[in-house]
Amino acid sequence: MKTTAAARAPGTDLSSAGTDGRALARRRLVLWLAPPMLWFTAFMLVPYAIMFFYSLGSMDYVDFVPGFSPANYVKALTAEPYPDVLLKSTVNGLLTALLSSVVAFPLAMWMAFGLASPRRRALVSILVVLPWWASYLVKVYAWKTILGAEGVLNTALMAIGLVDEPLSVLLYNRFAVVLTLTYIFTPFAVLSIYAQLERIPRSLVEAARNLGATDGEIFRRIILPISVPGVLAGAVITFSLGFGDFVTPSLVGGPDDLMITNLVVNLLGVSMDRPLGSAIGVVVIAFSVLLLMAANAAERRTQVRF
Amino acid sequence: MQRPVEYGRQGWLRVSALVVLGFLYVPILTMVVFSFNENPVIGLPLRGPTLDWYRAFIDNEDVLESIVNGAMVAAGCVCLGVGFGLPAAIALDRHEFPGKAFFRRVVLLPIVLPGVITGVALLNFLVLVSIPLSLWTIVLGVGTALICITVTEVFARLQQLGRSQEEAAENLGATPAEVFFRVTLPNISTALWGSALITYAIAFDELAVTYLLTGRDNTLPMALWSMLRREATPEINAIATTVFAASAVVLVAGLWLSRGRGEQVQS
Repeated sequence: MKTTAAARAPGTDLSSAGTDGRALARRRLVLWLAPPMLWFTAFMLVPYAIMFFYSLGSMDYVDFVPGFSPANYVKALTAEPYPDVLLKSTVNGLLTALLSSVVAFPLAMWMAFGLASPRRRALVSILVVLPWWASYLVKVYAWKTILGAEGVLNTALMAIGLVDEPLSVLLYNRFAVVLTLTYIFTPFAVLSIYAQLERIPRSLVEAARNLGATDGEIFRRIILPISVPGVLAGAVITFSLGFGDFVTPSLVGGPDDLMITNLVVNLLGVSMDRPLGSAIGVVVIAFSVLLLMAANAAERRTQVRF
Repeated sequence: MQRPVEYGRQGWLRVSALVVLGFLYVPILTMVVFSFNENPVIGLPLRGPTLDWYRAFIDNEDVLESIVNGAMVAAGCVCLGVGFGLPAAIALDRHEFPGKAFFRRVVLLPIVLPGVITGVALLNFLVLVSIPLSLWTIVLGVGTALICITVTEVFARLQQLGRSQEEAAENLGATPAEVFFRVTLPNISTALWGSALITYAIAFDELAVTYLLTGRDNTLPMALWSMLRREATPEINAIATTVFAASAVVLVAGLWLSRGRGEQVQS
């Protein structure tokens, strides 16, 4: 893939092209590129720049004082609870990505290899995305109904005599947060892994079988290696969604389970500390850019062409 | 010699796949069942069934208004997605230009960036230029973040199509406008419909950006959020079940209608 230096200003080196065709191509490019470029500059890049500006200032009671100090970054990365919460959110994101991939894999594999007719594949694909169309808030709340002390699960466990009193370890803790996040975002992982597995030619699997490979060997040496880009693509999305969620922790998590986005919301609302909130925002943006670049590189390195 | 089961048809695989599929429906089932439960708190024991919560929903004008608001916001987001995502995808696929890698990264960033951060950045901006918060600012924030959906979907389709058809049309004397409207657009129409559908669904259910950028008028998730924080009654389940059923019908119908055209493009 051809990449151009990001630093060069758009449109500077195309003007040297002399022929009519090039000029025409350039005009067409401007036609397509200018509207989205202006839009993204005005409503993404400028807001990010403003956020950066705020992050370097400070608060004098309720008034913002512009400045040029890294103090908010130092605070965001060293003063408790911020680094701790940043780490916790990252771990929650990783757990979400890992568990959704593991849960999604058999379903994606069955869709790709177990279902012969395109009609059935389409049907199961619809069944996978359908739950995702139900209100996200109500799905999170449903887990509260399931996991609570008088919830569906505890009642069922007590009814069959497996436990004598309701399990309290099910709700208002990290387990509930990660379970709920995994549940919400698993459809993304399924679709992404399925899209990759679907590309594997059946003949490859058949050839391996004819040469005497066992099912386990086929899985380990064909399916798993080829699935990597799909797993990664799904994991990047599920990680980001898990990392940045602020609803699930406040509904099914305990007091210690608040994530970084909850803190940012609180900093802006309750504590009126816009500079610190902005600094955390900039840190998360930087983190996201790195993640996107790493994902891109990993995708390019692991993708297989048939 | 007995032929082994075809790969992918092993019993354990089917069972675990179905278990996962079931897992995806457990909370949905919970949502539906408790929408008919007489108990005024969402939970056991089951009593009823009753339609009271559906009646409460139909009488709840705030919620009905929030649904209309949300539908309009989502439609606005789809317009932004198509209006800016389509040209961005064409520029990325058909042209080389300086700063392309940077442009791509900016466009795709919202995929990995938490909505709260997008919301905070835009909120700072809107406060600074003193634009009052309203449903329009939600469209601005959510719609801009979701442009990446149209870009990725349409870009993937353009890559898959290649340029031969467009070049053939050009060689036969079609103007650029004719090439676009009669060759490119029909070829990517299913990708566009698909991304519009996804954008609509996400925008309708979006909370993080909306939470920060909302003015006086609420969308449905905001209305549900405040209901959940005050006192959660099964009315919430009734609302969500109704909206879910309606979206499921629209989704399945949409997929059904676009199916024929989708297969043409593949071949």
